Amino acid sequence: MASGSIAFEGVWKKFRRGELHDSLKDLIPSMVRRAFRPAREGELESQEFWALRDVSFEVGPGEALGIIGPNGAGKSTTLKLLTRILKPTLGHCRVQGRAGALIEVAAGFHPDLTGRENVFLQGAILGMRQAEVQKRFDEIVDFAGIEDFIDTPVKRYSSGMNARLGFSIAANLDPEVLIIDEVLSVGDMTFREKCVQRMLQFRRNGVAIVYVSHNLPSVATLCDRALHLNHETRLIGPTADVIESYIASRSPDEATAGGAEIVAVVLTDPDGTRVQQISPGDRLVLHVDYALPPSAEDLAFAMNMVRSGDSLLVHHAIYSMAALGLASPVASGGAVPAGDGRVRVHVEFHMRANVVSGQYHFGCAIIDDRTEHRLHHMHHAASVTVREDRPRLGVADLYVRPRARLGRMGDRPDPGAAVENR
Amino acid sequence: MYSWGGHEARPVYVRMPAFLKDLREALVEQSQYHELLYQMARRDLLLRYKQTVLGFAWAIFTPLVNTIIFSVVFTRVAPIETPVPYPIFAYCGLLVWNFTAASLRFSVNALTANAMLVGKVYFPRELLPLSAILVSLVDLAVGALLLVGLCAYYGVVPSWTLVALPALLIIQIAFTTALALLLSMANLFFRDVKYLFDVVINVWMFATAVVYPADALEGRLRVLLEINPMTPIVESYRAVVLLGDWPPASLGIWALLVFLLLAVATVVFHRAEDRFAESV
Repeated sequence: MASGSIAFEGVWKKFRRGELHDSLKDLIPSMVRRAFRPAREGELESQEFWALRDVSFEVGPGEALGIIGPNGAGKSTTLKLLTRILKPTLGHCRVQGRAGALIEVAAGFHPDLTGRENVFLQGAILGMRQAEVQKRFDEIVDFAGIEDFIDTPVKRYSSGMNARLGFSIAANLDPEVLIIDEVLSVGDMTFREKCVQRMLQFRRNGVAIVYVSHNLPSVATLCDRALHLNHETRLIGPTADVIESYIASRSPDEATAGGAEIVAVVLTDPDGTRVQQISPGDRLVLHVDYALPPSAEDLAFAMNMVRSGDSLLVHHAIYSMAALGLASPVASGGAVPAGDGRVRVHVEFHMRANVVSGQYHFGCAIIDDRTEHRLHHMHHAASVTVREDRPRLGVADLYVRPRARLGRMGDRPDPGAAVENR
Repeated sequence: MYSWGGHEARPVYVRMPAFLKDLREALVEQSQYHELLYQMARRDLLLRYKQTVLGFAWAIFTPLVNTIIFSVVFTRVAPIETPVPYPIFAYCGLLVWNFTAASLRFSVNALTANAMLVGKVYFPRELLPLSAILVSLVDLAVGALLLVGLCAYYGVVPSWTLVALPALLIIQIAFTTALALLLSMANLFFRDVKYLFDVVINVWMFATAVVYPADALEGRLRVLLEINPMTPIVESYRAVVLLGDWPPASLGIWALLVFLLLAVATVVFHRAEDRFAESV
């Protein structure tokens, strides 16, 4: 069980716009200025600005904190501070336990070296001992799925292969603290799914995670708490509230086309507990939060379920707002518009997972009922693994309950007849 | 547990305890990351081996060609007196000089060439110039093989003084490391340094007794030679390997100064390190 933790204590970080002084010519004047007026950390000189102002948070073992915010809000700066690449101007960062960072996962790769050589180099950069890398080597290559190319120079890799190998090294590091930056956007769907599973597994094992992403539903899936950052802490708390705060803070033109958006997707059991693994026939609830333009009418919400691996569409259904009893209150202005002027709608899709064992993904979409355009959609918004002791083939759990007796179809059941006479 | 925070206000004068604390911190961290140093040096060697046809032969080629040129100049054009045959005298000097010169040449670019790595991943940044030195050290070892061959050819018999060789090597490595740290850091903040370096290293070679004996110079120029720490180092190598003499006593003072310089360079580098990512 890992027991890492992260603390950010009143962190301020100052940057300078434009160039520092790149040549000796500029150095002398700046040194003279410094000599007469020593720089103070807490003050801004011209051209300087605060990328972060007094940001504090803590992440304990097994906790995951999502950081969301607009571009240039200081998210990357926060990550770089957490990974010790930058040092705060004021305040302190503390990281306890072995830290793994999934930022620019292939940063240490050298194009002319082979995959194998790069695994050892990157492993060392991430602080692994060579013996550990050796021990994990097969696992790393296997996870990345590039066995055939491991002795090929990395410059011949596709960008996806590159990223997969990079992620795979970092994911096999046994971290106690994990700092993740949008890496889930690499690789194909199958690989992405593997990454999400690995991260959820890390969390169950007590790893402290900080996750930065623009993909709000993935933040909702991975994190119990979130931080809305815009140079300073706007809100920190339960993920749903923070996502709401962020959505509300965006101006309408930043929102997606048509203003209709899927904000958060969470999969739970009927009691509201998040689930990742169930048995065939268990009940599930897919919670989806939508932000809709106040004039929303004639919209429909679609949800589907796809089996991982063969991408088989198990289920697909569309529910119009009218059918959900939503059309009239929304159109008549009955719903309270949130800060950005859009209406919030929450839909719970209650269902029974009558499927055989396997991994399944849920997707959802907002559809314009008149034009049948998809206004916003999301594959892989949530996923679940169905486990059973003796795996069956096919798709659906038909509740087959075999009852056997001796005899033929037309025979009357005769409890006395033990053996059929021929 | 790692904790890192705001810059502490440091007084202008040097506080000994703070200096020692930072020195210790830097050394501890370097030792924690020794595997990475090894991997980086390995990477650079691998790359050289892969991308060049001659590979390690280049380690011999450069000093050898220089030796031939200087041999023609100083035995035919303007003959000078050397205690051993000139080619072996020059080769020994050039081999030793090349180690420092090549280390520094790679180190100047070590941080800027790996800007990607410096900006994205944390590790003690000293490792980049240090790995450049390790690579040059391998070249030195390869080049030394030819020196052994030359010794055999010219009938130079090794003497007991060879036992001083490791000490000499340590002094030279320490000196080279100190300069490598300062140069790589300086070039990160001011890209002028690289161009300045190219000029200085050429002048410096002739200001050092590499291709001529120190005794060949008299007067004021001799003073220039004496205050240049590379002269006693190169001269000592030749004394120990070729002449069977012991290094001059003055080398002890130089050694002391060199280690002091290394300590200062390490601390200066360590203190500036957390501004690197912002400057690359």
